[in-house]
Parts: sequence; C-alpha cells; structure tokens
Amino acid sequence: MRVPLSWLREYVDVQLSPEQLAERLTLLGMEVQGIERWGADWRSVVVGELLTVEKHPYADRLQLTTVTVGSGEPLHIVCGAHNIAPGQRVPVALPGAVLPGDRRIERTEKMGIASEGMLCSGDELHITSDAEGILILPPATALGRDLSELYGDVVLDVDVKPNRGDALCLVGLAREVAAATSATIRWPEIAVEEAGGPVSDHLKVEVREPELCTRFVGRWVSGAKIGPSPDWAQMRLQAAGMRPVSNVVDASNYVMLELGKPTHTFNGAAVHDGTIIVRRATAGERVETLDHVERELTTDTLIIADPRGPIGIAGIMGGFDSEITNATTEIAIESAVFDPVSIRRTGHRYALRSEASLRFEKGQEFRLARIGADRVAQLTLAWAGGALSKGRVDTAPTEPPSARLAFRPARVSRLLGAEISVDEQRSLLRRVGVETEPAPSGARIQVSAAPQPLVVDPGAEQALVAVVPTWRRDLAIEADLAEEIARVRGYETTPAHLPDTLMPAYRPSPLLVREVIRATLAGAGLSEVVTHALVSPLDEARLLWPEDESEPALPASLAAQTGDEIAVTNPLSVEHSVLRRHLAASLLDVLSLNERQGRPDVAIFEIGKRYARVDGRPREWTRLAVLLTGAAEPAAWNRAARPYDLDDAKGVLELLYRRVGMPEPSYVPDPRGFPFHPGRALLARAESGGEAVAGRVAELHPDAVAAWDLRAQRVIVAEVAIAGLDVAGPMRVHVEPIPRFPEVERDLAVIVAESRSAVEVRRTIERHGGVLLRRVRLFDLYRGAPLAAGEKSLAYRLVLGARDRTLTEAEVEGAIEAARKGLQKELGAHLRT
Amino acid sequence: MDFESLSGDLHRLKDLALAEVAKAADPAALDQLQIKYLGKKGEITAVLRGIGALPPHDRPRVGAVANDIGEAVKTALAERGFELRSIVQAQRLAAEMVDVTLPGRTVPRGTLHPIPETVAAIAEVFGQFGFVVYEGPEVEDDLTNFQMLNIALDHPARDLWDTLYVDVPGHLLRTHTSPGQIRVMQSTRPPIRALLPGRCFRYEAVDASHGFEFFQVEGLMVDEGTSMADLKGLLDEFAHALFGPRRTRFRPGYYPFTEPSVAFDVECVVCGGVGCPACSKSGWMTILGAGMVHPVVLQYGGIDPELYQGFAFGMGVERISNLRHAVPDLRYYLENDLRFLEQFR
Repeated sequence: MRVPLSWLREYVDVQLSPEQLAERLTLLGMEVQGIERWGADWRSVVVGELLTVEKHPYADRLQLTTVTVGSGEPLHIVCGAHNIAPGQRVPVALPGAVLPGDRRIERTEKMGIASEGMLCSGDELHITSDAEGILILPPATALGRDLSELYGDVVLDVDVKPNRGDALCLVGLAREVAAATSATIRWPEIAVEEAGGPVSDHLKVEVREPELCTRFVGRWVSGAKIGPSPDWAQMRLQAAGMRPVSNVVDASNYVMLELGKPTHTFNGAAVHDGTIIVRRATAGERVETLDHVERELTTDTLIIADPRGPIGIAGIMGGFDSEITNATTEIAIESAVFDPVSIRRTGHRYALRSEASLRFEKGQEFRLARIGADRVAQLTLAWAGGALSKGRVDTAPTEPPSARLAFRPARVSRLLGAEISVDEQRSLLRRVGVETEPAPSGARIQVSAAPQPLVVDPGAEQALVAVVPTWRRDLAIEADLAEEIARVRGYETTPAHLPDTLMPAYRPSPLLVREVIRATLAGAGLSEVVTHALVSPLDEARLLWPEDESEPALPASLAAQTGDEIAVTNPLSVEHSVLRRHLAASLLDVLSLNERQGRPDVAIFEIGKRYARVDGRPREWTRLAVLLTGAAEPAAWNRAARPYDLDDAKGVLELLYRRVGMPEPSYVPDPRGFPFHPGRALLARAESGGEAVAGRVAELHPDAVAAWDLRAQRVIVAEVAIAGLDVAGPMRVHVEPIPRFPEVERDLAVIVAESRSAVEVRRTIERHGGVLLRRVRLFDLYRGAPLAAGEKSLAYRLVLGARDRTLTEAEVEGAIEAARKGLQKELGAHLRT
Repeated sequence: MDFESLSGDLHRLKDLALAEVAKAADPAALDQLQIKYLGKKGEITAVLRGIGALPPHDRPRVGAVANDIGEAVKTALAERGFELRSIVQAQRLAAEMVDVTLPGRTVPRGTLHPIPETVAAIAEVFGQFGFVVYEGPEVEDDLTNFQMLNIALDHPARDLWDTLYVDVPGHLLRTHTSPGQIRVMQSTRPPIRALLPGRCFRYEAVDASHGFEFFQVEGLMVDEGTSMADLKGLLDEFAHALFGPRRTRFRPGYYPFTEPSVAFDVECVVCGGVGCPACSKSGWMTILGAGMVHPVVLQYGGIDPELYQGFAFGMGVERISNLRHAVPDLRYYLENDLRFLEQFR
C-alpha cells in the first residue's frame, strides 16, 4: 500500500520525520518497505505567472507566452497547450531543468521563435494524468517557489498483512499512526445534500444471493458532468499508485484508498429499467469487462445484472457497456459487501484481481457499505456536479453492534512472559480503539474460534471484556488481544530469558547417521552436492534407472503401482515437473554442468530423497548417491594420474559400511545392461541385526553417458538406501579380547575358471576353514602364463588362531587342507603352492 | 723363539695392521683386515700360537702384549668402521636431498555443502537447549500443510504460499516445514522441544533471490508456561551463536498459525546497523518468523490450549547461509558448480 504522507496528514498529525514514522510503523507491525521522495526528480521547476498568451505567427498549434517567475526578466516560452490564459499560475521548467524520466529542458527554438524553458502538464511531472493541458496551479501559489517544495511528497510503501484488510487505506493507516504516536484521528467529514427526488424513482436493487452479497447500498446522482477530477485529487491518486480516469471514477477510487471501501459507479442510463440484480450467472452468459475482454461466465460466478443481463462481475470488475463515459450524466453508485471466499474464487477463476477484489477478499466492515456510498456521492457532487437522489437503496440497513470479547489479563501476561498490569493492558488497547470494561458474571473466554471453537469459564481469574471496533474483524480470540497489547507496548519491552522448564526425553537425531556419512565421504575426497528433487520426466526416461529391489515387495495386485512417478500438476517448467525416483540423474546433471566449466574430474555425493507413489500414496526414501568420474588422483609433479573405476566406488561403500558398523557388503553381479555396463554393475547387500541395507554400484553404459552428452570416458555411480544404517544404536561395538596366543598366516593361491566370482571362492574358504580361521584377505589376482586361458589365480592370506593355545603345525595344516579340499570339490579349483 | 723376537713380531704386525686399517676405503676392506689379522687363521693369532714354544715364565708377558696389540687393532678397526659408515651415510644423505619447498602429496579431501552444514549448525545450537530433530514428509497433505495450521481453503493468507500441487489427490509439495509442528504434536506429549529441518517447495520463478525449492528449519516448543520471553531468550542465543554479538529485535509479524506473531531481526551483518543497500537502509535483517502457537493449531495437534502454550519459529536455511557466507545468488546452492562448493573447505 502506497501512502502519500500529505494525504495521511489529512487524518492524523505527524510530527515525526518520514524515517522515524517508518520505524514506528514497522515496530507496530505495519512494515514500511520503502520511502519514496515524490518530486525528487524535478529540478528547476518553479511557479510562474502567465503575463501574455498570443498565437504563434508560423504554427497554428503553438502559442507564444511571456511568463514571470517573480524575479528577473519575463521569459518567452513557446507552448503547445490551449488551456492557458494570462494571470494563471503554472509550473515552469527553466532552462537546465530536469523532469521525470531524466528529461532535460534547454533553451530551444520552436518554428523560428526562441523558447526559454517549458510550461509543464501534470503528466510531464507525473502528478496527474493530463497530458493535454498545462497544470493550472491555485492562484495563491507563491511565485518563484520550487515546485518540489510545494507539491513534492513522501510516499511510504507499507506491507499490510493479509489479516489487516482494515489498514489497506489511508484512514486505517492513520489509526495505526495514532496508536503509535498517541495522536488523535480526524475522520473525514461526510455529509451530502440530497437535492433530487427519491432514489426509488431511479434505482431498484434485488439481491438473489444474500449469502454472497450480505449488503448492497445504492445511491443515484443525476445530471453529473464527466470531466477530470481536481488536480489535488489526481495528485493524490497518482502518488498512491492509481491512474486518474475521470471525476466520477476517481471519486470511487479515492474512497477505496481513503476508507478501504471498494465501490463501483455505473452509467445509470445503461442500467436497464434502473434495476440492479445480484445473482449467479446462468450457463452461457457472457460479459465484456472494463478491460475489453469478453468473458464467458460460470454458474458459480456472482454477477451484477440488469433485467437484460450481466453488467459486471461482482466485486471484481465492472462491465464495459455500463462504463462511465464522457456522455454519462446519470450515475448509479454501488457500495456492497460480498462474501470474501466467493470473490477470491472468482478472481482466481478469471485470473482477474483488482485493487477492489483484493480488499473484498479480506472481508469488509459492514457499516462501510453505507459510509462508502455517501462518500462517493459527496465527492461526485463536488467534482462532477448533479443532484443526489434522496435516500439510499439498502438491502440490509441494520448494522451489527461492536463485538465483545472477554479476556484474562493474567493469561496475556503469561503468553508474553511479561507481567503487564491490568491498567496498562487497558490503556494499551485503548490506543488501538479497543475499549475495555469489567466482564459481567458468566462471561466466557473465547480461547479459539472456528473451525475448532473452544470457550472456557475464566473461573477465579479476573476477566475483562474488550469492545472491538467494527473494523477490527481480525480480533476474534483472546490471543488476538494479547498481540494487540504486545505490539502497542513494543516488543523491546518483552523480557528475554532461557526456558527453565522440563526437557523432553532423549531422541536420537535422524541427522546423526547423515553427519557420519557426510564426514566420512568428504574425508575420502568426495564433495557433497544438493540437487533439485523436481526433475524432468525426460531425464527419468533417458536413464531408465531400474526399479529398486531393496524396497519391500508388494502384493501382486499392487505391483503395477510400484514406484509410479509423482507429477506436479502446475509445474513452472517441464524441466522440473516430476519428483525424482532416483538420484543418479541429478548427479549426472551436476557432472554435465561442471564438465562445461572445464572441470572433468568429479567425485560427488548427495544424501537426498527419492519419491514414488505406492498404493496410491506418496512415499519417500532417503538415499545416498555417489558419482565418480575423471581422475581419482590428478597428475602431480610426484604422481601420475589415476582414473576412477568401479573399485573406487566399492571402496567408498566398504569404507562407509565399516564406518557405520555394518558388516562388509557382499556383491552380486547385475548383468542387466543399459543403463549399466553389463559386466560392471552389481548389487551390494549387507545385513546386520536383521536389517538389510542394499545398494547398487555400476559403471554407466557408454550409451547412457552419450545420452547425457558427457565427455567423460567412464562414469561410476552408486546409490544406497541409508534408512537401515544406524550409527546411533547403543553399544554397537563389542570388544574381542586381544589374542594372547600368536596367530599364524598362510597364503593360498587358488586357480579357478574365470566364471567363478571372487565372492564364491572366499565363501568356500570361509565355510571349510573351520573355527580356527579368523580372517581371509585377497591380496593378488593374476591371469596369464603359466595359467591356461580362461583361468585366473586368486591369492588369499589366511589368518588362523585359537583363543586358548598356540596352534600346532598339524592344526594349521588341517584347516588349510580342509579349505583346499572344499575349493577343489566345490569350485573345481586347483592350487598353486 | 724368545720373548724379544716374538714381541718384536707382534709390534711390527701391529704397525702394519694399523697402517692398513687407516688406509681401508670401505667396510668390506675392514672385514678383510679383521680376518687377516684377528681371524682364526689371522696373523696375530698365528703369532700367539707360537706362545707354546716359550719358556713358561715368558708366556704371560707375551700374552699380555698380544692382548694389548689385539685390542689396539680391534679398536682401530671399530673406529675406522665408524668413520667409514659416517662417510657413507653422509654421502647417502647428501644424495637424498630434496627441494623441500615443493608442494606435498595431496590427500584428496571433499567439501561439505553449505545447506546441510547450515542445518547442522542450527541443530547444534538448539540441540544444546534440548531441541530434538524430527522430519516430516515433503509430499504433504493439504490438511496438514494448510488447514490444520489455521489456513482454510480460501484464506487470503494462502497468497503467502504459492503452491505446487501433485497428482496425488489431496496432496501438495509442502510449502514450509510448519506442518511438521502438527505431526510432532500428534506423535508426542509436552514437554516438546522439536526442530524440523527439510526441503520445501513453492511456485516461484527462479532468480538470484528466489527459487522453487529451498530449505527451512522449523522449531517448536510447547510446555505449561512457555512464553514469548522464552522465545526471545532462545533466539538471542541462536543469533549470537551464528552471527556473533549483534543487536536483535522482535517486531510484529503475521502468520495464521501463530498468535501473536513476530519477525526476528538481527543487526545488518554488512553495515552493522548504520543502513546500507543490503538491509534496504534499515540497519536490520530479518532472519526468521516466529510466534506463539495459535490455539487452533495446538488443538489440531491434540494439545489442550488451556493447559499448554508454546512457540514456533521457522527460518530459511539459504537465508542464514547467505548472511554467514555472503553468497550473492540463491541459484548457487542447487547448481553445484565445484567452483562454489570448493570454497567451503
């Protein structure tokens, strides 16, 4: 809301500087977001008086004038306007002047005659909308004065919160200023002379939807003359951000800004039979609104109609056919109260929101319908003449009394944590127009209102009744009064102390496991990223990331719904229109961006969510995703470069599992192919305490890399469900006593067919090695002579030991021999010695 | 053979041996000399073997001389050996000299993203005051995201949250972390001190200061007498922990789910309160919104507003991070340009 201070001063005295006022309003909850100096862009524009006005000898459109600015020789100025006459006072831009838009005025020659400056129109100064005529100033305006001193203004930009519709106007903000400064408010004097016949001669109103239009007040002015409104009124509208249109339309807008009451003025002659009907539109009805758009109306749209059809959309915008034009003489004034929800929905439906509908949406003070109608009539008569018909059409003339709200001052103190005496609370409330009185016996406290009303008996506690001004529709419960008391008192008076009440029970933080993973991976050289959860459906399709085997299996009947995509129904762009079902594509996008910045070595991870619809319901899983590509160790003066490969990703995973106390994962090949390298993809699985943690590590298929337009040779990705990882579990580590007897190491080289996997060999050794076998570690993998083609040799170091004795050679040999035999029998392995 | 000649032989041998030891060029030569003079078949040993031919009264004298000479040769060998090893080591060390000003071998070290880092910093502060972390769903239902927070379907305040809706009936992408308040209250009893970090979404075009995905941290405290003064005390501690000793202020705000509502400002981190473009010349920067939990919200959470009262606050993680790290553009966070991320070492 733009608030010109000169206008505000009409209703309240302001002694403070604009900055001080802005600060006080902000601390009262009316946040001033900007202070604009109106007229700060006028330089060397002064008040002059026209001495002579003559025709230009060579141009019909132009006139020659002489102007005095009070001192010095009269100036000779050529002018294109025709509304000027000697004796008028006008704004004069002297040579060297600057006008809005950085327009510079110099001594020029117009059609052979020198011009020493320019006479200004209201439009050129951006203070009225009149571009045709020169702005004629009041005759008493001081000659030679700088115009910015006379007409400059300060405009505050106030952010009025949605619950304070009553403050979306000059009078409303004047009340706040009064509350902040203890000044008194001057209500505009509203009085009308009713010179015409009874209003019923001209206007009948029929409200068919009293729920949606709770009050309709109509007024009628005959014989008005449409023209521009007074310059001072235009200046105010302009400064407040509204473009002046014509005297009658300006009167309506002026009242909206002054009182917060939106009204509408119709060309009375265009209202058929003088009958206004407030009803819902019927199917197929159309109306052309003031913005020249023809709209087809839906049947839940509340309209203003005459017997022939719609003449406006209620509370949103009038109709073009009944618009006030220069020929209009009969004015019908509508000042109504509409249902906020209906207005809001209608505005959304037609994507039409106006200054009027914004105010209707926030709810309207009931009595303002009457006051607003009178005020518009008053200004219409003053600015456009004519005769006001006697009386109003009023569909609900009974105005409800002020609401009475009981509250407990002690409870207010308890909420605020500050002991505020009853007397102080009463005087603070009085500053915002809320009078208080002792509560009658039986008064009940409104703790909360609809939709969960709670009303309690104050019991022994002292209670007061607050008489709520009719415009404060936001004050409905006890806590609302606490806020009024707090904000008027000022929050700087609220004490600050740390809570000294009971602490909640311990609860392990879900962030803990993530902190451990993050620290571990960063320590291992990976950088953390955070990417969008909303992705492109094309990315999802392009990567074809497989369904997740780690999620619990669903009944066959629901299988079709497993992992359905969740799409945004009103996306900002297709690039971000679905929730991702895996994180890998997001990391590929990060790689792509960094490749384009000349950063091909990328080692990143993200802990984020994947989303899907399962059984018709949204579900979310926290995942860890890893992407490795480029150099694991960049070339340096003391080291050659080494590229990332699958083993790096597995190593990261193994490190992670170890760090969070999971056993080492076991690997199962995943030969599915696209989007993975068919020979370099695996599922990793580890179980601990009945919980399984599954993940996937793979080198991307070259086609998948190509689909992302990447230059990288090899891209390794991993994705792990981290829900099962739990570092916070109590007593995770159980210490084994340090062996007192020496361990024995034996190496075993196992030659097997290529088709045998390392995990099979290892498992076989572990199974047959017996209780003495403590650890098995692969330390070499060899192919080539003297091995046959299709063979490989895996060399393991076996560590054996017993807790209670040193092993004998026979025991060691026995265990090794058992492993050997198992390998031979189960895997057809032979052994090198 | 008599004592004189034998003793003379021994002294000659000694002179010879010492001369050779002095000339030995490496430890191997010393080993040879050791064998040559003192070995089982060595020359001094051989002389000593002749001792049996001497008269018995001469034998101890010769023995004493031989021992002295043997010791002398041994000592010479040891000294020369030490000398030679020192020379060799000195040569090796000299050869091993490196340019110590060369950079070290880089240990790969990743970086941590400022958003989770900021969340962790916030959680650390409130954790010290007993706040425990909860998380709620990002695909939220309309009821919890709006209606239970006192924002009815056609409430004008809905304009404060431009919403992204999804194709799951009754659901949307949560516009704030506040629905977590309802979920915490429904799942636990007072005393409640909860912190709810997470991702939020809004229908908002992207520019340097807006995004459609962002992160918030919500706080909730409910107990019998929890008041605005508790809120003020805690937020002061928080602001000082994250931004150092700066002035703070409460000013009235508006949220449908708190009553009274406040905005919490910290003295501008750029100008220190004098007023600059960063703080729109006000000298203050708003870092979060807060207030006393609205009675209706307590009721939806299953808590009797006559028995309990509490406060809630909500802050934008990016906002806090921007102020702490002078990040000029909100887009940096989700773009993940390594040149940005690597600055957080």
